[in-house]
Amino acid sequence: MSSTVLDYSKELSVIEGLPSAATLDEMIEKPINDFPQRRWFIGLAITGTMLMIGVVSLTWLLWKGVGVWGINQPVAWGFDVVNFVFWVGIGHAGTLISAILFLFRQKWRTGIARFAEAMTLFAVLCAVQFVIFHTGRPWLAMAWLFPYPNQHGVWVNFTSPLEWDVFAVNTYFIVSAVFWYLGLIPDFATLRDRATTTIKKVTFSILSLGWRFSNRHWQHYERAYLIMAGFATPLVLSVHTIVSFDFAVSIIPGWHTTIFPPYFVAGAIFSGFAMVQNVLIITRKAFKFETLITMDTIEKMNKIILVTGTIVGYAYIMEFFIAWYSGNATELFVFVNRAFGPYWWAYWTMMTCNLFTPQLFWSKKIRTSLLASFILAIFVNIGMWFERFVIIVTSLHRDFLPSSWGMFVPTMWDFGMLIGSFGLFFTLVLLFVKFLPAIAMAEIKAVIPGAQPTHHGNGASH
Amino acid sequence: MEKKLYSISAIYSNPNDIIRAAAAVRDAGYKKFDIHTPYPIHGLDGAMGLKETKLGFVTLAAAIIGAAGMISFASWVAVVDYPQVIGGKPYWSWPAFVPVTYEIAVLLAVLGTVGAMIAFFFKFPNISHPLHDTPYMKKVSADKFGVSIQADDGKFNEKVVRELLKNTGGEVDAVYYSEEFLTFKPQMFDPKFIFLLVGIALATSAGGYLYWNKVLYLPPFDWMMQQPKVKPQTMSEFYADGFGMRLPVAGTVARGFIPYPYALGAKADSVGKFLVNPLLPTKAALDLGKKKFFTYCSPCHGNFGKGDSRMNGQFPNPPTLHSDKVRTWPDGAIFHTITVGQNVMPSYQYQISREERWAIVNYIRTLQRAYNAKESDLQ
Amino acid sequence: MSAHESIIIPKKELPANIVKLGWALTVIGLVLVVLSYVTDAQRAGFNNIIGFTFLASVAVGAVFFIAIEYIAGAVWSTPFRRVLEFLGMLLVPVVLLAIPIFLNFHSLYHWSHADVVAADKVLQSKSPYLNEQFFAIRFVIYIVIWSLFYFIFRHNSLKQDKDNDQARTKKNIGLAAAFIPLLAISISLFSIDWLMSLEPHWFSTMFGVYYFTGSIVTALAVTTYFVVLLSERGYFFKGINENHYYSFGALLFGLLSFWAYIAFSQFMLIWYANLPEENFWFITRWQNGWEYVSVAIVLFHFWIPYFMLVSRPSKMKPRVLKQSAAILIAAHFLDMYWLVMPTYSASPVFSYYEIAFPILSIGLIIVVFAMQAKKYNLVPVGDPKLQRGIDFHL
Repeated sequence: MSSTVLDYSKELSVIEGLPSAATLDEMIEKPINDFPQRRWFIGLAITGTMLMIGVVSLTWLLWKGVGVWGINQPVAWGFDVVNFVFWVGIGHAGTLISAILFLFRQKWRTGIARFAEAMTLFAVLCAVQFVIFHTGRPWLAMAWLFPYPNQHGVWVNFTSPLEWDVFAVNTYFIVSAVFWYLGLIPDFATLRDRATTTIKKVTFSILSLGWRFSNRHWQHYERAYLIMAGFATPLVLSVHTIVSFDFAVSIIPGWHTTIFPPYFVAGAIFSGFAMVQNVLIITRKAFKFETLITMDTIEKMNKIILVTGTIVGYAYIMEFFIAWYSGNATELFVFVNRAFGPYWWAYWTMMTCNLFTPQLFWSKKIRTSLLASFILAIFVNIGMWFERFVIIVTSLHRDFLPSSWGMFVPTMWDFGMLIGSFGLFFTLVLLFVKFLPAIAMAEIKAVIPGAQPTHHGNGASH
Repeated sequence: MEKKLYSISAIYSNPNDIIRAAAAVRDAGYKKFDIHTPYPIHGLDGAMGLKETKLGFVTLAAAIIGAAGMISFASWVAVVDYPQVIGGKPYWSWPAFVPVTYEIAVLLAVLGTVGAMIAFFFKFPNISHPLHDTPYMKKVSADKFGVSIQADDGKFNEKVVRELLKNTGGEVDAVYYSEEFLTFKPQMFDPKFIFLLVGIALATSAGGYLYWNKVLYLPPFDWMMQQPKVKPQTMSEFYADGFGMRLPVAGTVARGFIPYPYALGAKADSVGKFLVNPLLPTKAALDLGKKKFFTYCSPCHGNFGKGDSRMNGQFPNPPTLHSDKVRTWPDGAIFHTITVGQNVMPSYQYQISREERWAIVNYIRTLQRAYNAKESDLQ
Repeated sequence: MSAHESIIIPKKELPANIVKLGWALTVIGLVLVVLSYVTDAQRAGFNNIIGFTFLASVAVGAVFFIAIEYIAGAVWSTPFRRVLEFLGMLLVPVVLLAIPIFLNFHSLYHWSHADVVAADKVLQSKSPYLNEQFFAIRFVIYIVIWSLFYFIFRHNSLKQDKDNDQARTKKNIGLAAAFIPLLAISISLFSIDWLMSLEPHWFSTMFGVYYFTGSIVTALAVTTYFVVLLSERGYFFKGINENHYYSFGALLFGLLSFWAYIAFSQFMLIWYANLPEENFWFITRWQNGWEYVSVAIVLFHFWIPYFMLVSRPSKMKPRVLKQSAAILIAAHFLDMYWLVMPTYSASPVFSYYEIAFPILSIGLIIVVFAMQAKKYNLVPVGDPKLQRGIDFHL
């Protein structure tokens, strides 16, 4: 395919082969009906162990307080905020795929939208735990985070970016959950009608709310989906923008830079797509979804990773250039210190994984290789984690006064929480692919060849 | 159980056929009919003659309510209810309210749209519709397309309908339902449901009570309270004498400390003449005096020094400050009384600074003059 | 498999009154420009920067959209790609408009005076970047990058009209991929050079993105205006319908919202941190009458077109599309005015100086478009995606 010229006058099919709608149902429902295979249990054992490490770390944290972490002055934000930003970033891909690519009418998104959305929810959960627990006394956090006046009648501070975060992340979680559920309703109805056991039938009946595929409903449903996508798109931008405001409204050199909002959003999409890519490749292989998630989809994902990686690279360069151009000594110092100071290894890991290795995706051969895609996507995740580490730790550890300089050394509990968050995420992913349809049935049926009427007069390709 | 006819249905397996069938049914003038497809089909809305959905208006309304509500709320909190200066910015720092306003607008728009659609446009949840659990539904939920013309349509005639659907190339069938299946009684006042609600309310209250009053006082939640510092009036294991509160080191005074030369028991009349008021009754001094008088003196002495306490008899009311005795006292006597206290009135020397005490004296003089004004004062 | 049948779309002359209008505007504009330069060269120079950056926005934005269409594989826009390809030709007048600025350089760019730099520590540290030689070299590099890619895209597309060779599309896709990162860097530095350095102490990392976003909004607005205007008069092809219009409207709506997002973020961060080295830039633009200009930009560049385009039916109405596009074009002029003129004058000024360059720019856009349209097909008849583009439905 790479040697010959594609025929641009024909539309690429979203799926391979010509399965009928009924076989699609069967294919997608299979993982739900089959008794889980041994490797599923092995996977669950691994992620469950990681989750338990997190639970133990969390218990210890709650018992002793945030002092068990490596944070201290001047680096008062450590792994907690690094992990929060990292996971929120991962959580951006799902809504991006289901909303932005929907608005841009990228039909290839159909096969992967559902589990990307699910990953969004799980990633936001992982992120939220860090902000809740880094408050120190999370059992009182309800009263600090939500607009409820305290005993002196003082309200939360609506001018604080941390308060904006509360609003943004909660809104994002709720909207993503609604979006996800809305998409699942027709699939629940299909599963209800295919159900063989009473438990399944009752469960899916309730979950489907009584959906009956009426076109009088589809009409509103489609419009609602469009409206949701229209709102989710700026929402997804706003969430990571507000996360970037946490840093950028301050006056810390290295944090206060106006490019942060779009740069964080691009970084979030970048890491989110990489994570989706990883899960996608495994799911595709494990459940034999090769016909539904085509190589073309994986290649397009890689292209988006390349584009967003390059945008992130642009922001790195622009930040460095303006730090020099500003003529501000502290500003320039922070950037030089990032690259050549005590945390140089974090900086160069970030640069390598985020800017340099994704450039390999310029080659079509690498873009269409499963193994290479998988490895490079892992690299991106590592790089994006280090990016947040670099931004947070290196900006703080050299305070304005040299007498206030310090270093951040994570403790085992920091790592415990990090491992635990991965455990939580992948446990939820494993449960999701087992119990819910991992691919949107109704959506994919609508894009298979011959699914739509031919009255436009342009043959089967619409 | 008697079965009733719900509708005559037809199944098609090609999207072009269903469009044609929809147009045919529409043109035949049926109103109560529906098309069921496993996924939305382009152009079907037009073929069925459906009007454009009104859902967008719900969204717009919800978004406007959210945005207006949130920015008003944030402004009210920041400007009216509890104004605080944050970051040296004006109280009404509107750019800082944009993010929360935006988020709430989006949240309400989305919840409003989906909520309205499900509850009012779809009338969901409804899991006992005649079409549910029929072979017809099983086909349209998989890969077939179906038309269903309801028996309660004004033009309905079973024969004609069957004919019409057959002509469009469909596989015609009928859907029946039993009356019983559709009867639905709201179970709001079912004792079991009420009992459940009461149970939930009790559990929530008990949980809230236990949480706020018991759980938060258990380790580790109380560890902010258990700090290894010496609190006032407590014993110390560190010092040999066991006192937690220490006297100053011998021969030292605190910064800015000026010792008061008169003893606690000294009579106001006798020491008053030795103390001279350093403050002139300027506007600033009187304002300060007024403020401090209202804060420290007025609860017992009354807002105008008339001895009309606000303490509701918790303490005996003090005598009025407008008596001849107090009016003829030198300034120093009042100052001394504030400093060391008198009868049940405690010493205020640690709460009120020297300057403030003198300012209060000046203010009391003003009050006294106001309540005993002479003709000359009025000119 | 590379050749396919080409679609026959007859070529038509552009309406004569539009062409005449273009020439008239160009001539009036030129006269006013000459008059401005004769009476007050400094003020004319600042206005020249406004006109220059405006036209550069349209030209570079058009090239950007050509590249994006290839990369994204968009089909709905293929029938209208020629409009973009014609507008890219504005790179030529852009270069011409730069010449008078270079001639008046010292009266416009504060940092180009050796004595000022010698007395200013900050400017000294910037002098390796902000000096006239390097400035000129950079300008040449930007122009070379933009025009090189533009002419190759255009060449392939025009050739395709005759040979229907799909390999040309493939070639352009590859080039477009290489062009986008180069464009990102070059247009950012371009905006820093020509606009940000007017106030040489001020800096903002977002500035490049701000100018770029404004540019693509403007280029799209100009394109939309031409497309709607011409298709209303029966140009293009039969079957241009509300789906195409809707796509233009939705894209315009999305991009103007994105512009607002970028503009607000830049303002918000500087306002919030309130550092004296940054905030003076916004403070100058919030006093002595500039606050009215600032508010006007917020209204005309965002709120008014936003509410005009927010509903789904309005995105399909030709009249709404034309009006909002015209408002956005005017707003971009205002935006450039707002970026440039506070350096010249403490309070807003308006006279024939300020209308000379807008008139000239609009005239040039029409003339360049008309000259191109006379020579080449208005629709890329050989493009393999054309039929899909014509048949496009939502």
